[in-house]
Order: sequence, then C-alpha cells, then structure tokens
Amino acid sequence: MIQLAPLAQLDTRHAALFRFREVAGQVLLTNHEGRWLFLTPAEFDLFTRNQVAEASELYGRLKSHNFLRDHYDVRAAADMLRNRKRFVHHGPNLHMAVVTLRCNETCVYCHASRADMDAVHTDMSKETAEQTVDFIFKTTSPFITIEFQGGEPLVNFEVVKHLIAYALAKNQQAAKQLEFTMVTNMSLMDEDKLAYLIEHKVQLCTSVDGPAPLHDKQRILPMASAYAHASKWIARINAAYEAKGLDPTLYHVEALLTTTRATLPLWKEVVDTYVALGCRALFLRPVDPFGFAARTGPKIEYPRREYLEFYRRAVDYMIELNAQGVEVLERYAAIFLTKILAGIDPNFLDVRWPAGAGLGALAYNYDGAIFTCDEGRMLDAMGDDAFRIGHVATSKYRDVVGHDTVRAVAIASNLEATPDCVDCTYLPYCGVPPSHSHKTQGTIFGRMRESPLCEVHKGIQDYLFEKLAQGDARTRKTFEQWTTHRPREHFLQGAEAAKGSE
Amino acid sequence: MTASPTIPEALAGADLEAGSVHLLVRQELYPLDAVFAAAFTFIKDCWVLVDRADAERWKIVLTPKAAGRGADELQGWIGSYANELLSCAYRHRLAKENRATVEAVTTQALAGALGPPTLDELEDFDFSNEAFEDPLGIAQSWEEKYAKKPKAEVAPTDEDPGEGA
Amino acid sequence: MIELRFHREIYAGEAVDEAVKRFAGFGAFELVEEPSHWLVRFTAKTSARERQVAGEVGNYALGASAERRKGAA
Repeated sequence: MIQLAPLAQLDTRHAALFRFREVAGQVLLTNHEGRWLFLTPAEFDLFTRNQVAEASELYGRLKSHNFLRDHYDVRAAADMLRNRKRFVHHGPNLHMAVVTLRCNETCVYCHASRADMDAVHTDMSKETAEQTVDFIFKTTSPFITIEFQGGEPLVNFEVVKHLIAYALAKNQQAAKQLEFTMVTNMSLMDEDKLAYLIEHKVQLCTSVDGPAPLHDKQRILPMASAYAHASKWIARINAAYEAKGLDPTLYHVEALLTTTRATLPLWKEVVDTYVALGCRALFLRPVDPFGFAARTGPKIEYPRREYLEFYRRAVDYMIELNAQGVEVLERYAAIFLTKILAGIDPNFLDVRWPAGAGLGALAYNYDGAIFTCDEGRMLDAMGDDAFRIGHVATSKYRDVVGHDTVRAVAIASNLEATPDCVDCTYLPYCGVPPSHSHKTQGTIFGRMRESPLCEVHKGIQDYLFEKLAQGDARTRKTFEQWTTHRPREHFLQGAEAAKGSE
Repeated sequence: MTASPTIPEALAGADLEAGSVHLLVRQELYPLDAVFAAAFTFIKDCWVLVDRADAERWKIVLTPKAAGRGADELQGWIGSYANELLSCAYRHRLAKENRATVEAVTTQALAGALGPPTLDELEDFDFSNEAFEDPLGIAQSWEEKYAKKPKAEVAPTDEDPGEGA
Repeated sequence: MIELRFHREIYAGEAVDEAVKRFAGFGAFELVEEPSHWLVRFTAKTSARERQVAGEVGNYALGASAERRKGAA
C-alpha cells in the first residue's frame, strides 16, 4: 500500500502531470504522453515532497522521462502524443462486411446472432455488395481492410468473390492500400475456395477455442467435429503459403478464442493446442455481452478476476515457451505492450480513445445498413439500433462519419473526461468501447468501476507492468518481440499503384 | 413513506405502497445537467420525476416499472441512482475542466474522418444564407456598396451634382 | 386519477405540452398552471394504465426538457 505523505507535506510544484499506481510493491508513474517510470516507495515519497536531490540518479531518471516541470520537453511530449493519436487524421480503415448471417455452426457465445442455413434472406446481394464497396472507398483513409464476417462468410461465397472483384477494379482508380481478410470457421472450405482465396490474397482468420473436446462442445457442427475441420484447414492453408515461398513465421492462419467458463481451467491446454497447430498468436478474449452470449451467460460467464487468473497463467506459460524458443504471442498483451514499450498505437479499435467506432471502423450488414462497429450491428440484431448510422444505398459518407452517434461515441470514449479513467495510470494506453458500456450499463458513458472490460484492461496492464517491474531480461526481450510489427506486404493490394502515385 | 434503514431520511427514502424511491440531493453538488444525465440511464427501467425539494435541493423520484418491488430491491435503486448521479456530476465537472482538450481531440478525429467536402457535396451546399449581421457593410462588394442608384429612386437636391460631374 | 407536478425550473412548458399530446389517446388529461409547477392530471380506465401512462409522460417530458436545455446551451 502506498503511504502518501500528509497533505500538508505534499509538494508537487516541481512535477509535471503524472498519475500513479502501486504495482508489484513499487510505484508506477505515467505522464501525459505515456512515458512510464517505476519508483520505490521511498523514492516516490521523496518525489511527492519535492526532496529529490538534483545530483541524484533519481532526479536524472525523472528528468529524462519528462516528469519534471522545470525540464519538461514540450516538443518531445507533443511528438509522442501525436504519434499515439495519429489515427485521428484518417477515417475508417477497417470495414466489416457481413455477407450473410447464415452459419452452419452453433456457438454457445455467438456474438453475431447467426441465422439458420435456410435463412437465405440474410445473404448480402451483389447489388448491396457493390454499394458497400462504393461507400467504403469514400473513406479518407489511405488504407482499407475489408473484413468478411458473418454468420459464416463462406456460405455466401459468390458474393464474397463479387465484392473482391468489384473492390479490386475500383482500386485501380482509388489506389488505396487494400487488404482483404476473412473470419471463417473453415468447415465449408474446399480446395477450390482455398485456391481462390490464396490467389486473391485474402488473409484467413478462424476460431480455435482450445483442445478438440472443448472446441467441439462450444462450437457445434452437426454430424462432424468443428475442431477437425478447423485444424485440417489451418495446416492446409499454412502449407499453401509455404509452397508459395512465403515466410511461415509471418504468413499463417490467425486464430483466436472466446474464453468461456469452461476454458478457464484449461490455460495450458489452450496454449499447447495453438502451438501444436502452428499458430503463433493467441487472442485470449473474454466473452462479450452480445448476441447469444447475453442468453447463455449463466452457463458461460464468470467473474473477471477468474479470467485474469486464467490470463496470467496462460501468458506466464507462453513467456516460458518463448524462453525455450517457441515463438507464440498473446494478442492483448501485444496491443498494450506496443503502446507501452514502443510508444505507438497499433490502432486496435476496441482499445483506443477516441474509440474506433465510426471513425476507425464501420460495419455493413447484409442488408446494407451501416453501423459504427460490429458490436453495434450485434446490438441491432438484439433489437437495439442505437448504433445504426446509415445505409449504403442512401447515405452520404460525411453524414455517416459525422453522425450524431459517432460524435457522441467519440466524446463518450474520451478518457480525459471520464471519471476514474481521468486519474488512471493506464489512461495513455487504454480504451473501452462505448457500445460495451451501453450494453452492460445502459449508457455509452461507462462507469468504469462497474465495467467488466475496464477490469480486464486494468488487470492485463497490471500483469504486464508487474512483469516489467520484475526486470527479467528474457521476459523483457519476449515483450519487445511482441511489439515488433512486421507488415505482411503480400496481402496488400494496390500498394504498387499507391506507391507509384507518391 | 418508509425510511430506508441504512440511508439517512434526509437523503433518501422508499414508498413501498407506491413502489417508488426518492433521493434528495444538494444542487451545489449535483447540477441539474448531471441529474438529467443520471435520470436518462434509468428511464428504460423506471419512471423518473425530478422536482425541487427546497431552495437548495433537488428531489428525484424513481418508480421501477416492474411492479411488486420489495424494500431491499427498492433500496438497491437508491444506491444505483446515487452511483450514476455521482458519476454524472463528476463527468460534468471534468467536461468543463477539460473542454478544450476534448474538443480538440474530437474535432481532429472527426475532421480526419470527414475529410474535405467533395464537389458534389459543395454543389448541394446552401451558400445563400446570411451568416452574420453586417452593419459596416464589410461583406458587401464595392459595387453593391457604391453603385449609383437608378435615377427614379433618387430625389434631386440642391447638392446633387447631376450627371457628368 | 394521477397528478404529475413538473417544476417550471426543471421542465420546459413546451416539453410538458408535447408529452401530453403524445399520450393524448390513452386517457383524459387536465393541465393546470401553478406558480412553481405545471400540473398534469391524468385519468384512465384502470389504475395500472394510469400509473404506466403517467410514468411515460413524465419520462417523455424529462427527455424533451433535456433536449431543450441542450439546444439552449
């Protein structure tokens, strides 16, 4: 417990703005631009009483990290802040196209509120696909990622192909850096589809909930093993990339899981499963309150402190594996560590402020309705259209990104004006999507003490900073590796045209 | 009226018969905007009425829409509203203190996403509105300001130099 | 009969009027002006209906008043 000096003895006139928190028996300071420093309790006491000797090592550290008002480097702070917030200069780069709600798997936590396989009315038409692409290309961002989602996007493969062809043709003029990704359960994959997806450079992402019994229990594929399909095609696709001469450490299927109550005791098995499949990244996502998960909550939900115990064990194990030469990273950690260690924002739209909803991402439903984010679309499927902001056939781009809802979400997600967050040491690195607060608390202006997502983000950052405080060189090296961003240029389309126009 | 067993009567109470609770909060601590903001979070599940208790206090009455609430549950509504009200009041203060920062970030974020208007959008734009009063005629063109008025409109005077002058 | 008291400092008169108009079809409304309050007296076929509609009128008036405050700000 930090022992603060009595109020009458506190003197921070020498200090630039800082926030502080006890982590691993030390005091973590962060400043306005996101620099951080660990002080011992005794050092912190000196700092808060303005009794740090100028000639001391502590003074030197405080000065070099920009915590002293007399030596505050405004330029450096501004540069760092600008770097962290550079995403505000561009419009939406991530565009989620829900090409169908139909899905052949039934997942206990399905956030997307999937539809049965005979619900063909939930397929996106070619006309809507074209209108969606027309709208997407109005973005002010020079980067466009079109992410195919569902339901199961392979169910409506003809429209997927049509959309890709239309977008590529459009990009001949637009010359954006264009990428395609697809989130698929793999169970409808075949060699023809794979050949097309490989040829058209569509990045593939799938779900792996853990070892086969867990995966198959949570992701029900009638008359078959969902795990068997996923694992088979992960191996097949990775082999196909390698056959094309692509570096397997960089080009492979991405997989992620949704952590349910059943997952919690299986932290080691989950990691081992991913490693055995050749996956180099896990995204240990907690379950969200959208879609079916809202109803199945009593079976799959858990207190977030239990999730954080699971998380710590899993990531500790992954750090151990890395020390043994097995390269595997945890995505949540990588997102935060990139902000903490590298000072840049990887622009993961759910962990940034202002939030990515409407400004960094847009979601397009099968019927052409536009939402601020995929969670907004999920809420609409649950009967709440609060985040619906337009339609591809009738809305103008500036009316959509300038929509009142987008403005409200931008303001609501600003941590500088959010109680609790404004004083939180992790403010420079954090973010909670207002759609989550809206669902769980009835207001886009979240009460963070009651937010399960705040608890998760705080808990993960506490864990990461504890590791940093421990000062283990191997752990630090692993963490640095997790921040390394190697662009996957093979998937960029139109890059040549874009470069040529510079 | 039933007083809540754990909350002072001067601050809150519950009416079991009416199925409602009320809170009395000081205006100087909780501005009306915060009271409204907190109330909004509850209008889905409660009927909310705001009144003046006296010169210094607001009175907020919450009636949960689902009937048949026991004393414990009603007390829970008091706590929930009080928490949300505190959050809203704090946010209200923060918004005032940090208005410049929030505006700067939001404006830049929206400007970045919006980009400049297209020619089509400019075509639709209505430039005809008078944007401001212009008593000194600053926004008027020289021609508008100094153009000679048609002869029929001007009554001749002794000082009128006439044409050609 | 249920009586709603809307304090003039808190609720805009137009907002109360708007709320009453919106729910006019659900029963009988009587509007009375007091120095400090707008009074709305509502009568419906059943007490449950009175309770519900009166509550929704209150919520509507609250929202409409907040809108007007926003506009005036």
